Amino acid sequence: MAAAKFDLADDSVVVIVGSGAGGGTMAHELSAKGIKCVVLEAGKTLTMDDIENDEWAMFMKISWLDKRYSGGTWHGSVNHPNLPAWIVKGLGGSTVHWAAVSLRYQPHEFKMLTTTGGVPGANIADWPVTYDEMKPYYDKAELKMGVTGDVTGMSHLPWSSDFKVLAEGARRIGYNKITAGPMAINSKERDGRPACQQIGFCMQGCKIGAKWSTLYSELPRAVDSGNCEIRTNCMVLKVEHDKSGKVTGVVYADKDGKQQVQKAKVVCVAGNSIESPRLLLNSASSMYPDGLANSSGQVGKNYMTHMTGGVYAVMPGKVHQNRGTQVAGIVRDEAHHDAKRGFVGGYTLEKLTLGLGFLSAFMVPGPTGWGHKVSGALEKYDQTSGVWICGEDLPQEQNGIELHKTEKDQYGLPVPIVKKTDHPNDTNMRNHAYKQMASIYDSLGSKEIWNLPAYPASHNMGTNRMSAKAKDGVVNSYGQSHDIKNLFVSDGSQFVTSASCNPTLTIVALAIRQAEYLADQLKKGAI
Amino acid sequence: MYYDLSIVRAATPGQIKLPPMSRRQLLGTTAAVALAAGVMTTAFGRRALAAAGFSDDQKLTLLRVARDVYPHETLLDNAPYQAVIDAIIAEAGKDAKVADLVNAGLADLEKRSNATYKSNYVAVKDPLQREGILRQIELTDFFQKIRGGLLFGLYNNKALYPKFGYDGSSWEKGGFINDPSFGKVDWLNL
Repeated sequence: MAAAKFDLADDSVVVIVGSGAGGGTMAHELSAKGIKCVVLEAGKTLTMDDIENDEWAMFMKISWLDKRYSGGTWHGSVNHPNLPAWIVKGLGGSTVHWAAVSLRYQPHEFKMLTTTGGVPGANIADWPVTYDEMKPYYDKAELKMGVTGDVTGMSHLPWSSDFKVLAEGARRIGYNKITAGPMAINSKERDGRPACQQIGFCMQGCKIGAKWSTLYSELPRAVDSGNCEIRTNCMVLKVEHDKSGKVTGVVYADKDGKQQVQKAKVVCVAGNSIESPRLLLNSASSMYPDGLANSSGQVGKNYMTHMTGGVYAVMPGKVHQNRGTQVAGIVRDEAHHDAKRGFVGGYTLEKLTLGLGFLSAFMVPGPTGWGHKVSGALEKYDQTSGVWICGEDLPQEQNGIELHKTEKDQYGLPVPIVKKTDHPNDTNMRNHAYKQMASIYDSLGSKEIWNLPAYPASHNMGTNRMSAKAKDGVVNSYGQSHDIKNLFVSDGSQFVTSASCNPTLTIVALAIRQAEYLADQLKKGAI
Repeated sequence: MYYDLSIVRAATPGQIKLPPMSRRQLLGTTAAVALAAGVMTTAFGRRALAAAGFSDDQKLTLLRVARDVYPHETLLDNAPYQAVIDAIIAEAGKDAKVADLVNAGLADLEKRSNATYKSNYVAVKDPLQREGILRQIELTDFFQKIRGGLLFGLYNNKALYPKFGYDGSSWEKGGFINDPSFGKVDWLNL
């Protein structure tokens, strides 16, 4: 079918802001149901020819590098002052960059307030949706994305040398929840995409498309449906509304920097947890002086990135960490909740490959990362093995997205300040993880272990949180604004809490559920 | 049969353009500093222009500093370090601000070296003592210019990957799925 093209004045379309895990999934789901939609993507079109096995070349090609500030007390406010987050500006959004770990939230991770009884200084709440309600959507998401495991019946990927080493160390300290999945990477040809060839550059964009990404899975199908138009290089500046308060469309800067207005019946915001709240805040009007959907005051608050860090160790023999998928396997023995460890929530250990370029830059990040110890460790690159720690990060009011009072970006919008400060729970959990990893690497005979602080965040969550009651959050359990019925949030900014797992699978499951709800509401004439 | 990627392929091909960025903006994000320093292409082979304005002693000191920032005494010869320094010298030849930065940075370094060891920097024998002097100036733009260049010139330099045991790009040869080394660990009883 020919690609659809919609008039700017066509107010029957659903406008989707962003084309990543949330927006790209919404585009495919809605268009498959016959609903007309326009995707506005701020970044450029990427082609498979653009993808290289080169860390810094791809970083410069795909990263969101518009002006941002790191705030709060995390080390990045010094070491990464203008790179608080490591996400993508391009077609497919951060599904181009993600490592494809596709864990589900555990049932208790949807009700952390009930589970913990609350934690001082944190804004913990239960989700207005339960695991049982989410389960069918997780199943659908896994089938859609091709997640290795029971739902697709596709076996996990083969174990790389590096993962075998981590697994053996984990086994030696008594762990047993050690698996090479679930990953949204084909272990065999499936759904028109080839099996993984263990290239080792998943996060630079999978060169062969074995890893799920909306870039080549959801978006082409949305276009093929004849119901979806994608416009790249289109940065949405503002969501507009009428006197009744309903949204009527969006103002965006097109590829030539010219402002356009696309009318809409519904607007779905899916620009990631920095841009989505920023857009709602920048859309303030006399009727909504604090920004759209913000009667609760929670837009831009509760920013979560996961409690993270890395541990890299020099092994007695070769591990060739780059020879295999970047996250070749995971260890989940600390993913449960047990406050006796000195923190609430849990964490997952994920084997993570860094190439020579990134290891040299992040082993000791920032201006002090040099000297004979760093260079000495880099000489043993092929003996070096490491993990990334992904733990529950508590929502806090003080962590959030704020607008710079004077400084504007190239679109004339206030520059975002992304504030992140650890809760003591984060610090305790990170120290616990460092200690456990030290035991693992010690059991393997390593004499040199490096603890790495957090990277600029690739997991950004929570800045437009769901809530059962309008006073507690921004959107309901379907991502629909409490205040404005035809405004939806379709990305990870809906998250209430962050859990001990990577967010993409849950973003996709929520988008499938939201699309079903939205289609039903449109059919009923409720919107 | 693979899914039709025509939508992705059909749309505007070509270079992805980067937004304009100030050096300040990138500074601190580790290796990005190197891009700001503009040394990438020169470090990768294009010979730097002839140096202007620096004495032989100054050039020697710059090379010594470079080797001390990321020491690889037996692994690497002078060439990759020299390439980074040459690029900075060439830049200084075209940009007076860079020349001033380097001249002032070197003068400051020698002052500190003489204050502590009564010796010029290159004559301080103990590499740990030289590292200590550099630690004093590690947050300066002068130092970070050299460090940023080296991050790229040494560790993002494809010609040097094999020396570190890093394979780099693998898709051209079909990844590692069929490589005999894949999944092998010969030093650990599993």
